[in-house]
Amino acid sequence: MIWEVFRQEQAGEYHTHCGNVHAPDREMALTFAQIQHGRRKPTHSLWVVPQPEVSEVDDEAATFGGTTDKSYRWVMPYNRVDPEFAEEIAESEAEQRDADEQRSEG
Amino acid sequence: MDLDTVKERAGPREFGPGDDMPEEYRKAATRMIQFHANSEIMGAYLEKPFIRQSPSLDRKLAFSAKTQDEIGHGQLLYRAAESLGVKTREQMLDELAAGEGKFLNCFHYPMTEWQETPMIAFFVDGAAMRRQATLKRTSWEPYAHAMDKICFEEGFHIKHGEDIMRELATGSKRGQELLQEAFEEWWPRILQFFGPTDDDSTHHDFSADVGLKRMGNDELRQAFLNAYIPKAEKYGLEIPEKPRIVEEDGTYEVIEEDLDWEEFFTVAKNEYPSGREQINGRKEAQEAVAWVRKSLDDWEHAGTAGASTQRAAD
Ligand SMILES: [Fe+2]
Ligand SMILES: [Fe+2]
Repeated sequence: MIWEVFRQEQAGEYHTHCGNVHAPDREMALTFAQIQHGRRKPTHSLWVVPQPEVSEVDDEAATFGGTTDKSYRWVMPYNRVDPEFAEEIAESEAEQRDADEQRSEG
Repeated sequence: MDLDTVKERAGPREFGPGDDMPEEYRKAATRMIQFHANSEIMGAYLEKPFIRQSPSLDRKLAFSAKTQDEIGHGQLLYRAAESLGVKTREQMLDELAAGEGKFLNCFHYPMTEWQETPMIAFFVDGAAMRRQATLKRTSWEPYAHAMDKICFEEGFHIKHGEDIMRELATGSKRGQELLQEAFEEWWPRILQFFGPTDDDSTHHDFSADVGLKRMGNDELRQAFLNAYIPKAEKYGLEIPEKPRIVEEDGTYEVIEEDLDWEEFFTVAKNEYPSGREQINGRKEAQEAVAWVRKSLDDWEHAGTAGASTQRAAD
């Protein structure tokens, strides 16, 4: 069976997908995951998930973010007010601008 | 894990569902996150009527998006609370409906006029955002992860709220007057957002000791006032004479005795009349859509819902 592997670099971070292993059972999948994915890159924790248990939807089947203009739910159009007055608002603004840029590059 | 170990290790995002946490920790975290989740939901119900009452299509779209976000925040937070193993989401929603679930003071008051909307969407969301930014470093990892997503989204809420205020403040004389009226009505409640000053309690605050809370109420209130009083002034709002606010070396101090703490504690106990109405209004909505939850549950328990029931070979 194929097992998908998710690695968390440090406590508190997100487990992100990093590959898969071929193993006959859960215990060996955990061992193989350590050998293949936990040795060089910093690793705090690994998850293994049986591949058939993972369901997928991709951008061919779905239009992520919808088909209509939803700019009103972003910070960008509200450009007559200044987010810099509070650190946490400026940070949220920066994160949204980043995400929007990455989306339009894709 | 014993309590001393918890206090020793209590760094940002330190503990998660895989850790064996003592009951005191799990209960305190549940109380805190449930309060937060309830507040997101009750805030959404307060703003919901403005999807209909918005004066333009832009505002209507933004209010529907914001309300949807807030309900989503509530759901994320109930998940984070559930992961402590103390209460289920269903239990927490039922407690809210029964008037046992506690939530933010500001969401116990009615909001009926358009001019009032920036009081929530700018000031209250802004105060919440100040606190939430510090909670990205809470010790319960699922709570911190919920904060990542919530803080990402909130920038839009606050800018949208400020934009409404800007529009009103630069519009007709009548609009400006109504904005000032709304501000005077809401300002004391907003000042009470962070609760009474906690000079005496900080050192013995359990949730601070175990890293759930990262900043005391006094410090949060201070940071909020430093950023938001200048904003209010920028839009020509006059800060009411009472409660007195003493400014010294660029920091503000609220004179506590000028605020109505009896009302605050009545609100906190869910005994304030308009708050009860809000609670009951949401309860009715919860009952009205019970059939949706039931059909989802039936489907899940029939074991036919998509997920492969065959366990992977262990
Ligand atoms: Fe929210
Ligand atoms: Fe919000």
